[in-house]
Amino acid sequence: MTTLVALMLLFPLAGAILQAALSRSLSRPASGALAALAIAGSLAAAVAAVWNLGVTPHELHFGQWLAFDGFSAQFSILYNRLAGLMTVTVTFVALLIHLYSAVYMREDKSFARYFCYLNLFVFFMLVIALADDLVFLFMGWEGVGFCSFALIGFWHEELPNVDAGRKAFLMTRVGDLGYVAALAILIAASGSASLSGLTAGIDAMPTATATLIGFLFLFAACGKSAQLPLSSWLPDAMAGPTPVSALIHAATMVTAGVYLLMRLEPLLAIAPDVGATAAVIGAATALYGAACAMGQRDVKRILAYSTISQVGYMFLAAGCGDVSGAFFHLQAHAFFKSLLFMVAGVMIQAFHEEHDIFRMGARLRKALPGLFILFACGAAALAALPLTSGYFSKGRTLADAVAHPGPAYLLAFVLGIVAAFVTALYVFRLFFVAFFADPADPAKLVSEPELSRMERPLWPLAALALVYGFVNPPEFLGLKPWLDAYLAGTVTPVPPEVAHAEFFVEFLDACLALAGLGLAWLLYRPAVRPAPAPAGVLTAGLGLDAFYRKWIAVPYCRLTTHLWRGVDEDVLDGAAAAAASGIAGLSRFVAHFGSARPSTTITTLLGAVAALLTWLALRLT
Amino acid sequence: MNIPLSHVLAVATALFVIGGAMAAARRSILMILIGVEFMLAAGSLAFVGAALAWGNVSGQAAVILIMGLASAEAALGLALLVHGRRGGGTVDADSYDRLGGDA
Repeated sequence: MTTLVALMLLFPLAGAILQAALSRSLSRPASGALAALAIAGSLAAAVAAVWNLGVTPHELHFGQWLAFDGFSAQFSILYNRLAGLMTVTVTFVALLIHLYSAVYMREDKSFARYFCYLNLFVFFMLVIALADDLVFLFMGWEGVGFCSFALIGFWHEELPNVDAGRKAFLMTRVGDLGYVAALAILIAASGSASLSGLTAGIDAMPTATATLIGFLFLFAACGKSAQLPLSSWLPDAMAGPTPVSALIHAATMVTAGVYLLMRLEPLLAIAPDVGATAAVIGAATALYGAACAMGQRDVKRILAYSTISQVGYMFLAAGCGDVSGAFFHLQAHAFFKSLLFMVAGVMIQAFHEEHDIFRMGARLRKALPGLFILFACGAAALAALPLTSGYFSKGRTLADAVAHPGPAYLLAFVLGIVAAFVTALYVFRLFFVAFFADPADPAKLVSEPELSRMERPLWPLAALALVYGFVNPPEFLGLKPWLDAYLAGTVTPVPPEVAHAEFFVEFLDACLALAGLGLAWLLYRPAVRPAPAPAGVLTAGLGLDAFYRKWIAVPYCRLTTHLWRGVDEDVLDGAAAAAASGIAGLSRFVAHFGSARPSTTITTLLGAVAALLTWLALRLT
Repeated sequence: MNIPLSHVLAVATALFVIGGAMAAARRSILMILIGVEFMLAAGSLAFVGAALAWGNVSGQAAVILIMGLASAEAALGLALLVHGRRGGGTVDADSYDRLGGDA
């Protein structure tokens, strides 16, 4: 087991190092093949490791890297069934994304740099998925932050891309403050920073401490997962190459926050306030993201807001303490969202870097029928049409909210239900406008054989998006819920109320999805020639960016200008200069006593002797 | 012993201060040397007074040493005076500042 887990981590790391070392000598196909091979090796190790994994978790140690004052940070791994499934999901989706990238980046000049970052990204994500020690986990946490910065700003010759990368880096760093603070309090409170140690000593921890630590970790998770209020970096993150968006959004960085909450489940179990807050934040974000997606024209930005919204559902489930439900939605989302992003990448290349869905239309469907089917599969899952994976997984998260008593969960449920309706609406708006409409100002369609080559890795994802729900079907269907049964020994089992609520919720969800589909058809069917939404509040992300700019960035800039000109230059520099000139004056005065003139020398001598004698006389009397 | 020691010391102090003030205030090397002689004389006087007061001869022996010192100092000082007068044409002590560097 130790070997397999080590191999799982080492393959992508070695891939990244090789890409960096051989960047000059590798040809484009060799570089892509090497990167994909590294991930394939990692996937093989992940599958082999999870194959016969029992209920008891494995705790592995690869050594210690930091120790002081009774505290030590280990390279330790907590490999349980949740981590096992997570690593398989991450490496599987990442492998398909690597295969797709090899074609997508066919004309890019810095492909080795691209694949190096991509491999490194997977490595750091696997660290997050596996780490037991929270300091080690933080290394992965910061690592994906760095890689997302490097990949979002990958086309760094244009300033907006770099700005987007910087924004993502800074905003997630704001969340990391919460992580560091939580880590500090946790170490002070329990003397250790490992998840297994936390679980073992959870009974001795006071509720107030647990709640504080929980809130801080929740803040960190909000930053990483682009939840309110730290969500505004994610739509801008679309500046990177499209496969990167698929990777960041589907299985890795954005879900890291939710995954952290899942791993911290024992802590959240004794701090119910944190769970309720997470549920409400998640549901509010789900609605926020869905509403913002309604106003976008750029296909990638629609999908980005959709990610924000869907991760909100995962937060909702994790906040309700239903780890397997949250994980179920995480997996389903990983499949259909990476599918949608990669389809969007093909769409964009088919129109020669055109992102606007209002310039695509029915020609796209006729030119690339395979792509149309792929997109339809992804859209059906995202919109939660009945019996798709998104339908079951989203219904499960909403049933969690219903099953929990309390006004907070009720509020979360209502928000989530409304968001589900808006989700169906915006998904089919995108679908009808991009694939059926007859645009007034169409973009030029290019035909390249590579476009259909890029479709190939997407078929398994499309199949999973449609049928993956049957891995964990709700109880009323009478099928065996494999995922719940598999995770039952690892995480808290699902309470029976959820199963009771599921029938009602799934029914409601199906109605809402179909209603959304119908309304979208009425509003956006080709005959209507739908007009794009005018630039307004929805287009601008409900003004969150403007809010930050006005209330945080501008006052901050003013404060810094004041501190720089007023405080630093005038007060601090002035004080230093005044002190220097004062000392210079004093030294000139003192130098006067030691000049070469005999009269001053003698005067000084006599004065000093007089002072010494006076002092002696005073002491002796 | 008719005169008390304190009176002798008072006179010695006065002589020392006068000599010190003279050495500090005057510019001419000659006058500075005279001031230093005053100060040495004040020291001698204090030694003699103390030897008298306590009936101890070693104080008077110290005066002989001081006289030797004073004669050596006077000889050296006058030699400097002659040398300076020949070299720079002045007896002003402030102009003898070549050892003082830039200050």
